[in-house]
Amino acid sequence: MKPIDIEAMTIGAVSRQIRGKELSPVELTDLFLQRIKKLNPVLNAYVTVTEERARADAKGAEKEISRGRYRGPLHGIPFSIKDNLVTEGIRTTAGSKVLAEWVPDHDATVVERLRKAGAIILGKANMHEWASGGTTINPYYGTTRNPWDLNRVPGGSSGGSASAVAATLCLGSIGTDNAGSVRNPASFCGTVGLKATYGRVSRFGDVPGTGGFSSDHFGIFSKSISDCATTLQAIAGHDPRDPLSSEHPVGHFSRHIAKSVKGLKFGVLSGYFEDKVATEVKTAIDEAVRLLHSLGMKRVEFSIPHMDLIPAVQTVTSRVENVVHLMPHMKSRPNDFSRPLLHRLIGSLMIPASTYVTAQRVRRTICEEFEKAFDKLDVIVTPTTPITAPTIDECKEGFVEIDGKKIALQPAGVSLGTTFTVPFNVTGLPAVSLCCGFSSSGLPIGLQIVGGNFEESRVFQVAHAYEQAARWFEKRPESPKNGGVR
Amino acid sequence: VEAEMEEQIRKLNAEYGFNLSEDEIKLIVQQAEKTERLLRPLNELDLIDVMPILKVEKKKVKK
Repeated sequence: MKPIDIEAMTIGAVSRQIRGKELSPVELTDLFLQRIKKLNPVLNAYVTVTEERARADAKGAEKEISRGRYRGPLHGIPFSIKDNLVTEGIRTTAGSKVLAEWVPDHDATVVERLRKAGAIILGKANMHEWASGGTTINPYYGTTRNPWDLNRVPGGSSGGSASAVAATLCLGSIGTDNAGSVRNPASFCGTVGLKATYGRVSRFGDVPGTGGFSSDHFGIFSKSISDCATTLQAIAGHDPRDPLSSEHPVGHFSRHIAKSVKGLKFGVLSGYFEDKVATEVKTAIDEAVRLLHSLGMKRVEFSIPHMDLIPAVQTVTSRVENVVHLMPHMKSRPNDFSRPLLHRLIGSLMIPASTYVTAQRVRRTICEEFEKAFDKLDVIVTPTTPITAPTIDECKEGFVEIDGKKIALQPAGVSLGTTFTVPFNVTGLPAVSLCCGFSSSGLPIGLQIVGGNFEESRVFQVAHAYEQAARWFEKRPESPKNGGVR
Repeated sequence: VEAEMEEQIRKLNAEYGFNLSEDEIKLIVQQAEKTERLLRPLNELDLIDVMPILKVEKKKVKK
């Protein structure tokens, strides 16, 4: 048998080996469990590892495949699940002290669909407390570290998922994205991170209180765009248990992935992004734009008249919709919330109902402005985050230095790390983050590609073309060692 | 506005049993004021005939 380079593995490559019976799901699962045992004490990407069940599921997969019952490209593939998606018989904490002992009696639809596709769940990924922040510095379950630099955060709130995929502690992960909680950590950790169109993926089985019901999305972490498309294929589609899931038909997300992008139009939004970006990020994005242009795409400048109101709409929407779910816990167990989060939640209770309704009216105006823009565009490109991953110390202090200036990480409203992702939570448009280069200190930089409603295939097509031309995926983080942690 | 906010927080503190200190109450008032300033421009828009989005409707797909 050929030696196995675990860090080079992708779902696409491994699934071909599994299908061809060159690689056994049991052997693969063991490899990943060993790697988790070795690296998770340093990275803290997983809060729960379901070793026994993963091994049993892998044995089942192997048996099925040996009998000729191959389920498809996720059969035998190791995944992790963010700890705010309910999992039958597996503790689900949502990163909170309140739910420290909670073991749900059912799976989220997405988990159910992954299992049906034959995926092996290795465990639950660490996250920010109640998904209410972008650092994954968790007071109860510890800080997750960024595999590219152990003194830096992985982003959040799905930081455990991003860290696990970047360090190859699984080949795919499911997270949630209420303001950028998939795309922000994907950008900081150099993975692919997608949130599909609102309603495309069922949110049945999310832990209430970890995102606004109209702004939160389930999302995918993977190592390649093609893996992301494969995973979306397995989890997308209407779910009668989620009244907000869409009945829009699910197409074949990979069918046109390798099609030429020549002649397609990408939009560059003027007046929102330029002045808020670190120089190194801007340089990488400019380079990505040049590459897309060299692939035959046409650049179009456009603007959204009410772009400046997006942070306000997002703040009202997500805070009001979220706090409603947490009120009973706030009343019965106020001391089981970290104090900064409790303060923020109390502030959320003071937002007037009339402001919430006004925000939803402004939101419609903004959605219509984006719809109009997409009449003349195929995709929009932006930076995913204005900065690279900050250090754990900078996050604790609340400030980061950008080009010599000290900037607050959490100003009023949306945090610095989600400035460019929230517009697509407000509008529900599909958006993916993928690596578009590295800073001088070796940290990944994320490019965000956004499509029109239910245009995930187009997003994948453009992202895949960029990914294959730029080939940043060839660079990998060194295997973390304890010595790197201060 | 500040006094109203402070009164509201004290009420919540008593009702929910948060055991907030005086410093914490002041901090929450400050944060709430910042949020209020952020949200103020929402009310300056002419929204006549604009229905609120109650679900992000996705019926329209580009041909």
